[in-house]
Amino acid sequence: MKNSMLNHPAPPEQKAVPSHPRPKHRLTSEIWKHRKEYLAISPFFIVFAIFGLFPIAFSMFLSFQKWDGIGEMTFNGLNNYQFMLTDPEFWKAVGNTLLIWVYSTIPMLFFALIIAFLLNAAFVRFRTFFRIGYFLPNVTSLVAVAIVFGTLFSNNYGLLNYVLSLFGIPSVEWLNKTWGIQLAVSVMVIWRWVGYNAIIYLAGLQSIPSVLYEAAKIDGASGIQAFFKITIPNLRPIILFTVITSTIGGMQVFTEPQVLVGNDGGVSGGGLTIVLYLYREAFVHNYFGYGAAVGWGMFVLIALFSILNWRMVQGKPSND
Amino acid sequence: MNIRRTVCLGLLMLIMVISGCAGTTPTEKTKTLTLWYWNRSLDDDLIKAAEQQFPGIRIDAQKIGGDFKSKLKTTLAAGSGGPDIVAFNDWVAELFTSSDRFYDLYDLGAQQIEQDFLEWKWRLGVTPGGEMIALPIDTGPTALFYRADLFEEAGLPSDPDEVHEQLATWDQYFEAGQKLQEHFDNKVKMLDNINNIYNQVNAQSDRIYFNPDDTFIGDTADSSMKTAWDLAVKAAEMKLSANASTQSSEWNAAMNNGRIASFVGAVWMKEILMQAAPDTSGKWRVARGPGGDGNNGGSFLAIMKTSKYPQEAFDVIRWIQNPENQIQSFDKMNLFPSATKALDAPVMSKPEAFFGNQATGEIFSASAMNVKPAYFGGKHGNLNGIVSRELSSVALEGKNPDKAWNDALARVKKELLR
Amino acid sequence: MIGVNLMLKWKSILLHLGLIAGLIMSIFPFYWLLVMATRTTSEIYSFPPKLWFGPHLFDNIARVLSSIDFFGAFWNTLFVASACTLLVLFFDSLAGFTFAKFNFPGKKWLFVLLLATMMVPAQLSLVPSFVIMAEFGWVGTYKALIIPGMVNAFGIFWIRQYAQESVPSELLDAGKIDGCGFFRLYWNISLPILRPALSFLAAFTFIGVWNDYLWPLIILNDENKFTLQVALSSLNGIYTTDYSMVIAGTLLAVIPLIVMFLFISKQFISDIAAGAIKS
Repeated sequence: MKNSMLNHPAPPEQKAVPSHPRPKHRLTSEIWKHRKEYLAISPFFIVFAIFGLFPIAFSMFLSFQKWDGIGEMTFNGLNNYQFMLTDPEFWKAVGNTLLIWVYSTIPMLFFALIIAFLLNAAFVRFRTFFRIGYFLPNVTSLVAVAIVFGTLFSNNYGLLNYVLSLFGIPSVEWLNKTWGIQLAVSVMVIWRWVGYNAIIYLAGLQSIPSVLYEAAKIDGASGIQAFFKITIPNLRPIILFTVITSTIGGMQVFTEPQVLVGNDGGVSGGGLTIVLYLYREAFVHNYFGYGAAVGWGMFVLIALFSILNWRMVQGKPSND
Repeated sequence: MNIRRTVCLGLLMLIMVISGCAGTTPTEKTKTLTLWYWNRSLDDDLIKAAEQQFPGIRIDAQKIGGDFKSKLKTTLAAGSGGPDIVAFNDWVAELFTSSDRFYDLYDLGAQQIEQDFLEWKWRLGVTPGGEMIALPIDTGPTALFYRADLFEEAGLPSDPDEVHEQLATWDQYFEAGQKLQEHFDNKVKMLDNINNIYNQVNAQSDRIYFNPDDTFIGDTADSSMKTAWDLAVKAAEMKLSANASTQSSEWNAAMNNGRIASFVGAVWMKEILMQAAPDTSGKWRVARGPGGDGNNGGSFLAIMKTSKYPQEAFDVIRWIQNPENQIQSFDKMNLFPSATKALDAPVMSKPEAFFGNQATGEIFSASAMNVKPAYFGGKHGNLNGIVSRELSSVALEGKNPDKAWNDALARVKKELLR
Repeated sequence: MIGVNLMLKWKSILLHLGLIAGLIMSIFPFYWLLVMATRTTSEIYSFPPKLWFGPHLFDNIARVLSSIDFFGAFWNTLFVASACTLLVLFFDSLAGFTFAKFNFPGKKWLFVLLLATMMVPAQLSLVPSFVIMAEFGWVGTYKALIIPGMVNAFGIFWIRQYAQESVPSELLDAGKIDGCGFFRLYWNISLPILRPALSFLAAFTFIGVWNDYLWPLIILNDENKFTLQVALSSLNGIYTTDYSMVIAGTLLAVIPLIVMFLFISKQFISDIAAGAIKS
């Protein structure tokens, strides 16, 4: 914020006058003076209070109730939480979510980096064309993506099994196996987000000043050395950004498994993610109070996971 | 700047649309009745005919996809909106606790037609408190669907009577399956999936999960739960299943490609099979099922309390479900009648090309005679879901059946305490 | 020297081959969707699969149009997405501009609070949000889709960043001297300058709302109000036996957004990248 502010918070003349005994009063008048600014920013805070904050508080209350959404609420103590912590399916959903996150995020960021490097090479032609092509999956609706990938992974008529058969490999019942479902979901996530992350990495690469590379070259550094000493450290904040966004996204996977294998997450609940579990318990089985408790369970997990994420990144010694 | 004008104009219009009209202009002359049903639960043409029958009534018929029951319950939870008329499936008892959200059809004149319907089916729509909340549509007598050509090729009987005689028990059925699969070198499977075996064995029983007083009986010898489980597991161990889950595109593909030789199912599966596997037309037959006759599914119509025109709604569903229309619905949609008068209609012995000119109506009629209506209770669906999930783990991922049974029971007991 | 040139040439060919291979992976599902939409259900189920177009596209589309009110769902989605986008543009730019260019007590804390709200996952309050909507009587209405989404923290953050850099305070000072009130400083002076940031925010919001699924799935219960995503998933759930029709419906649902995207893609993609670098 280099520019001067329009409204100085405290005009100097006021300060100079010593007979201004009540700062409280001054603050109210300050606020009154800036009522237009407050009005301008208020919609967000009002909407958040009603549709963000209040539901959170209300969900705390709900999580201690037994309620099917239709009849009477009855106080349920900690039973919802106890049920959640002892329900193998809840933990399965947690595990699935983490696994799908790992299966999708690591290859996704890896491929995105590669594509970004390729696109960044000086002699690439039709760069815009490639960028659009890679980005296209990202604007496609998830429901449609899940339907199309369902036909690719199908046990009986899937294209993937056809490709395997060309190599003499017997067909695989992808959607009848836990790992197959998780693979299919991860592939969907990867497919949808590789281009997006590649574009971001590309921008990061382009923002690294070429002087750095030239200097390294003069110092006799090899291409690989330059990659590890210059590219990676400079790209680190951007990699961090993509890791955080894909963590947030990864914790919320819902549409892919729901459309692909249904509300139960398919065989052995292989595609049962936390959000799908929450949706099923609340809106399919009508355990509304329990759904609220699962929401809190999810919140705690995400918080823990974010802290872990943060610590890992912080813990690394900085290269520069 | 034109961006500002656009934003301004747009905002203005938006405020008008959101605040002003919610789109509910009060109907002056035509009364619109919204109907929720699922595909194949009613004949679409019959709904149109109802509009002709009742001038001044428009029926907004909506097929609800995905999980019908959860959409209905979510709407009940919302407390507003929803249709005038709504279809229920065999989970009708789950809505007894919300019976105050539906009109008591006895108040609207249901007694006058009570004697037209099968008594056991009618009673399923009556709450313990004696309110009639759901009018019967169809019933679901079960039988064995099989590919006569494949059976014959594998040296099994192919005539419906012989099939019924020689494949009378589940064990005989499974053995025949083994023989068939040997013949086809496992390129063809005997049955679609073991969850269906579990469900069909239970469909033949009148004691599944609960006594009418809602005590759990699944772990007693009285109930069919463990028998059904064991038979399903046996089918899995004998590798008789094509692992194609019912009502999925995998199932359709496997049927159309001739990878599945038979399945036990209710009469309404005819409609699904005919649509899913047109390439196999003429090759199917229906025989009385192994293990006995049963009932699987069969639906109802209810009128929600939010409806502004309950009497009109009742008149419409009463007309739709009159015996003549039930006969027509069976003829066109394979919705097996719940009206006694319709049961011996000539259409029951009409030959069908898809089934090699067999009159399958006769088989299902015979099956329907032996229906032992079961008490479902409010948690039937949830329990079935739990067992189903464990069963598919056994079938598809080789989970130890004993462990799976114990896990299922443990989870069921937890569910009962919720 | 010739050797180096040759190597460069080979390098370039390899690199383009790699890019094209990636592009094929990226585009192939669209091709496959198109192929299947031109086939009958039996052909889709056949093995080996049909890899080239068939003649049944219009036939399949005709069945989609007779089974669901596709254009109705299209207009519904367009309405909800446009409404959300317009409101977001207005409220986010107003708040973002205010945060960027004015000082008032508590500003810093309010902004931190605003950023903190971005960390709260929306799914946490899925159940209570639904219950609140039920209390308001908003279940089944577009209000439940539009109002909670009419202003968001991300957009405010984005506009603030842009406004700080590109709206000169001198210009606002001059406007103030000319007697412009707060709203005119925003509407007449700043908004035109913020246009590039707004166009990105518009596209971003529009695409997001267009593709939203979970919340509309829970909220909407009248078929006549379904958005495309809900209608598509409903089509997929109802007509499993008419798979070629489901696929054709999927194709129809995908086309509008892709066409829109192709028009704005170049600018949008660079904005996405720029946004990531900034934050």
